[in-house]
Amino acid sequence: MSRWAYRAELRDLREELLAMSDLVCEALQRALDSLEERDAALARRVIEGDDEINERYLAIEGHCTELIARQQPVAGDMRFVVATFKISTDLERIGDLARNLATYATRGERHAYPEVDAGTIGRHVLAMVREAVAAYAAEDPSACYTVAERDAEIDRLCEAASGIVVRDLLAERGPDESAESLLADASRLFLTIRDLERVGDHAVNVAARTLYMVEGNDDLLA
Amino acid sequence: MSSQEQTQSNAELEIETEIQSERSDRETRADEPVLEVRELDVHYGDERALQPVNADIPEKKVTAIIGPSGCGKSTFLRCVNRMNDQIDVCSVGGELYFHGKNVYDDDVDPVALRRKIGQVFQRPNPFPKSIYDNVAYGLRIQGKTDDLDTRVERALRRAALWSEVEDRLDESALDLSGGQQQRLCIARAIAPDPEVLLMDEPASALDPIATAKVEDLIEDLAENYTVVIVTHNMQQAARISDKTAVFLTGGELVEFDDTTTIFENPANQAVEDYITGKFG
Repeated sequence: MSRWAYRAELRDLREELLAMSDLVCEALQRALDSLEERDAALARRVIEGDDEINERYLAIEGHCTELIARQQPVAGDMRFVVATFKISTDLERIGDLARNLATYATRGERHAYPEVDAGTIGRHVLAMVREAVAAYAAEDPSACYTVAERDAEIDRLCEAASGIVVRDLLAERGPDESAESLLADASRLFLTIRDLERVGDHAVNVAARTLYMVEGNDDLLA
Repeated sequence: MSSQEQTQSNAELEIETEIQSERSDRETRADEPVLEVRELDVHYGDERALQPVNADIPEKKVTAIIGPSGCGKSTFLRCVNRMNDQIDVCSVGGELYFHGKNVYDDDVDPVALRRKIGQVFQRPNPFPKSIYDNVAYGLRIQGKTDDLDTRVERALRRAALWSEVEDRLDESALDLSGGQQQRLCIARAIAPDPEVLLMDEPASALDPIATAKVEDLIEDLAENYTVVIVTHNMQQAARISDKTAVFLTGGELVEFDDTTTIFENPANQAVEDYITGKFG
């Protein structure tokens, strides 16, 4: 492979990751919409679409492996390939979490806890993922720190939401709420909150790997 | 243990004691770099081959020197044991301290210096003599002829060649394979027990398997010797060295740092461009 072809391969890898991130952000957006709207059809599209995200992930993994085997990239090129590979793993996991969220949307109406605003948390984490991917695309270190700083707010919102559910469970609801549906609601909400919080963590990982890629700086790597 | 084995063992012990005694002086200076290069520059006639170089070469580590053709890396290597003295038009400025003594001082004997700073070249260059005599050559010149067999065996073992030649020491060195010849040259270089080994592309003429053996050997040698290696093969530098010096066109030492830093996150953009193939 000529040096020109090698540089073209690196550019292609970047485009592959950005294309995968578009799919993941779209899946997450649709999963959140399906939760909000209780739209089972939309949820099923998200669940079915996860296979394509997984295929993109495997393609990127293969591309990174080939570049390492055949070109032995070093310095900035090496950081780019390693960071891109790790970010693709985080994006694949976000895709899985979007599928989980869509699955919760297919499991009936929500009866309780109107005060738990999962939609707001969802919008926050979706914005984080988009900002992290934009930081990667623009190779912008300061944007990486901004994403990492937002995670504290996500953690706070998730903790508050979980607290509402726990307090309600302990206080018991009125006779109109059957114990079974209450428990199902509570479980789904816990899982939703947990998954949204994890999406935020993966967005931070994307930002951390991007910072390493751009500056060789491991400040944000846990 | 037979009496012959006992005698062999005692001889080995005596040589080890002799070497340890020589080393004890070195170890009192443990924290100092073995080579300190200060404003060292080289001209071939009017042409500058090396811009002023400053570097500290650490003891018992592998230091790699990389850079494009004509960047001065071999010129620098030859300065260390004054091999450039043999080139009439070559003039060397600045200082190069070996354990605190400037090797360019008038009272330094270049031949004695080269006993302490040995060299291995790109192409294996065994003498047209037996395997044994190649290794014994430097020892005989130095008068270290007591227990010669043990000293030769020791050098061949350290060069990872003993098991391949122990039953044919009297055969011509020229009958060995290229990789074996290069390890023989390494054995010849370390037999007088130098402190520093300079290697100028020692594996570039070898096939991948012989290269791997020489690379493994270089890492092992660094337990006892300071190794400075010039290589065109950047992956080789990344694999085997602790420190890397990058010379770029014009004979300038552009960056000198831990090898991991050079190959993961170099400070200098020109170094980044060179090692990622965007330049040179």
